[in-house]
Amino acid sequence: MDYVRKTLEQIGMEPDRVQMFNLSSAMGPRFAEIATEMTEKTRELGPSPLSANKC
Amino acid sequence: MSDRFEPQILAFCCKYCAYAAGDLAGSMRLNYPPNVKVVQVPCSGRVDIIHLLRVIEDGADAVYVAG
Amino acid sequence: MIIADRKPLEEIQEMVENCEKILLLGCKGCVTVCNVGGLKEVQVLASTLRIARKKEGHPLDVEEKVLERQCDPEYVEQLRDSYDQYDAVLSMACGVGPQFLSEAYPDQRFFPAVNTKFMGGAVQHGIWEERCAGCGTCVIHFYDGMCPIARCSKSLLHGPCGGSADGKCEVSRDIECIWDKIVRKKMEQNRLEDLRILRAAKDWRTARDGGPRRSIREELVK
Repeated sequence: MDYVRKTLEQIGMEPDRVQMFNLSSAMGPRFAEIATEMTEKTRELGPSPLSANKC
Repeated sequence: MSDRFEPQILAFCCKYCAYAAGDLAGSMRLNYPPNVKVVQVPCSGRVDIIHLLRVIEDGADAVYVAG
Repeated sequence: MIIADRKPLEEIQEMVENCEKILLLGCKGCVTVCNVGGLKEVQVLASTLRIARKKEGHPLDVEEKVLERQCDPEYVEQLRDSYDQYDAVLSMACGVGPQFLSEAYPDQRFFPAVNTKFMGGAVQHGIWEERCAGCGTCVIHFYDGMCPIARCSKSLLHGPCGGSADGKCEVSRDIECIWDKIVRKKMEQNRLEDLRILRAAKDWRTARDGGPRRSIREELVK
């Protein structure tokens, strides 16, 4: 995980595009929360420079 | 269609924790953004550097591992 | 085995700056074992280079291949049909790799993707240490299995020197004084007298001092 984040940083991409979360099978709400959180954060970062759907 | 940026996000989920949590979220009728696409892995330990890099390389806007 | 470290990404990117298509060539020998140039590392570096270049809007086509070894002409020969399809070949083998490749294919360019460091082994997962300096005349048996050539900062044959303190070397506190260990072991085993034995001067001509070396096994040479 750290390796990938460091690598992305080295090539000038936001390391926050790669994350790791810990949760248990009983954490349904947390799952939805993480998905929302990630979507919001990525929206802030903007599209990946490699992304195909340039809008 | 809205002009809002809809990121493509990939989530590697452990079969026994996060994927099950995702199932639970479903049965609890919780909403979460459709931007997240889930890939089930037998264990989050299966996810390697190369998997994350390939996801970014193929154009995903973000990737995460949940387990 | 031979231990190497991956070169910094920046340096590698600079090497292939003007290339459009390269071959990233791993080796299944030592560099696979020390996790620097095997299949996995080839995949990761290839993907990283592709991402970096795609991001700059100047995509790089990186093909991945891993040879059994890059230090044997038989395996190097496996590239005969394809070596000229690339702008350059980036070798993830030790320093021997790019040289054997260059000799076999003089019209192609071969770049090293790793810094080759020393001969050693893994003391724990992820940490490798030097054990052999390849001096050509082994003296380990005089020192109870510890090589002062490779493991003493000064390669002293009669130590320890005055810089030895608390079992550490004056060059760095991270380096253990191998002479401290040799003497301690000799004392433990009541063989300290061994160190008084006068020995002929070591023949350094068999080391690098005698120039590049070669090894000939006559029964194998046709």
